[in-house]
Amino acid sequence: MDTKKILPSFVCGFGAAVVSTVPGIKNIGCCLIVPAATLIALFLDEKINHSDLKINLKKALAFGILTGIFAAFFSTIFDLLLTFISHTNDYVEALPQTESLIKSYKLDPLFDQTISMLDAMAKQIKVSGFSPLYTFMIFISNIFIDIVFGIIGGLLGMSYLNKRK
Amino acid sequence: MNVSKQFHNRIFLRICLFVIAFIWCVGFISPVFFKSINILAASYPFTKRIYSIVCHQIGAKTFSINNNNFLVCARCTGIYSGALIASLASLFYLSFNPRNNNLLLYSLIPLLLDVLFTTAGLYHYSKILAMATGLFFGSVSFTYILNILENNLLTEKNGY
Repeated sequence: MDTKKILPSFVCGFGAAVVSTVPGIKNIGCCLIVPAATLIALFLDEKINHSDLKINLKKALAFGILTGIFAAFFSTIFDLLLTFISHTNDYVEALPQTESLIKSYKLDPLFDQTISMLDAMAKQIKVSGFSPLYTFMIFISNIFIDIVFGIIGGLLGMSYLNKRK
Repeated sequence: MNVSKQFHNRIFLRICLFVIAFIWCVGFISPVFFKSINILAASYPFTKRIYSIVCHQIGAKTFSINNNNFLVCARCTGIYSGALIASLASLFYLSFNPRNNNLLLYSLIPLLLDVLFTTAGLYHYSKILAMATGLFFGSVSFTYILNILENNLLTEKNGY
């Protein structure tokens, strides 16, 4: 795949990451951000490559996956950057509430490990602004969810754009 | 490929999509089951994190049962529930194809208008309205996705 084919996914994935990082806009866009980014990527690809051909499933999936990967990559970078600068994030701020909720269910002592792990992550973030485990956790969750929603956007985009032809 | 096998492939695809939609929906209502299934409570930080990628999770905009908030807002609850209902319906109605080319766009309009009007302050955010607009969009989106998958996966390879 040449640069011309990756560029729309790259740009739209980056845009989706920016939009999903800005709190006000995220509230409006919700779960439609990554699917919309993939649809726009498919549209841009048509415009850049002057293609009048119908989009096939393979292309729609490829665009969905690529846009999802780029969105996840940049979302993680932005999240890490903001966390590194501010030494806090949504996770750290919500942790006391999360812990009290888990404790209120009086779970087995085995689950104390979960709480201690969460505490360790929050402590690392507060002290150094970075936690390897948190980074791993957000990257894996971002990549999985963004790829799935990218694929959904790719399929919807394929359906919508093909019916316009 | 005989008609029976084609039929089974079609049903199999629809069951798979229903199971995926069901698991996703169970995931965001999991806080409701914390008291009865302890392991769900232990996984709360991780499930909350996963759903936070796709939803703002503002408490005032989410449904709750017994003070346990869902992990997604009312609009997202509607979208995913719509997809789940449509996936369930697709198991019983085989000719489940969108006839109107612009239905996807039309289904998005009420949702966008509701977002626009609540953001502009024309009226207050209503969970029921948000869910209803999401429900419509979610169910229509599912029919398009199913249509695309069936037309491409089952038609091209299997000549269905």
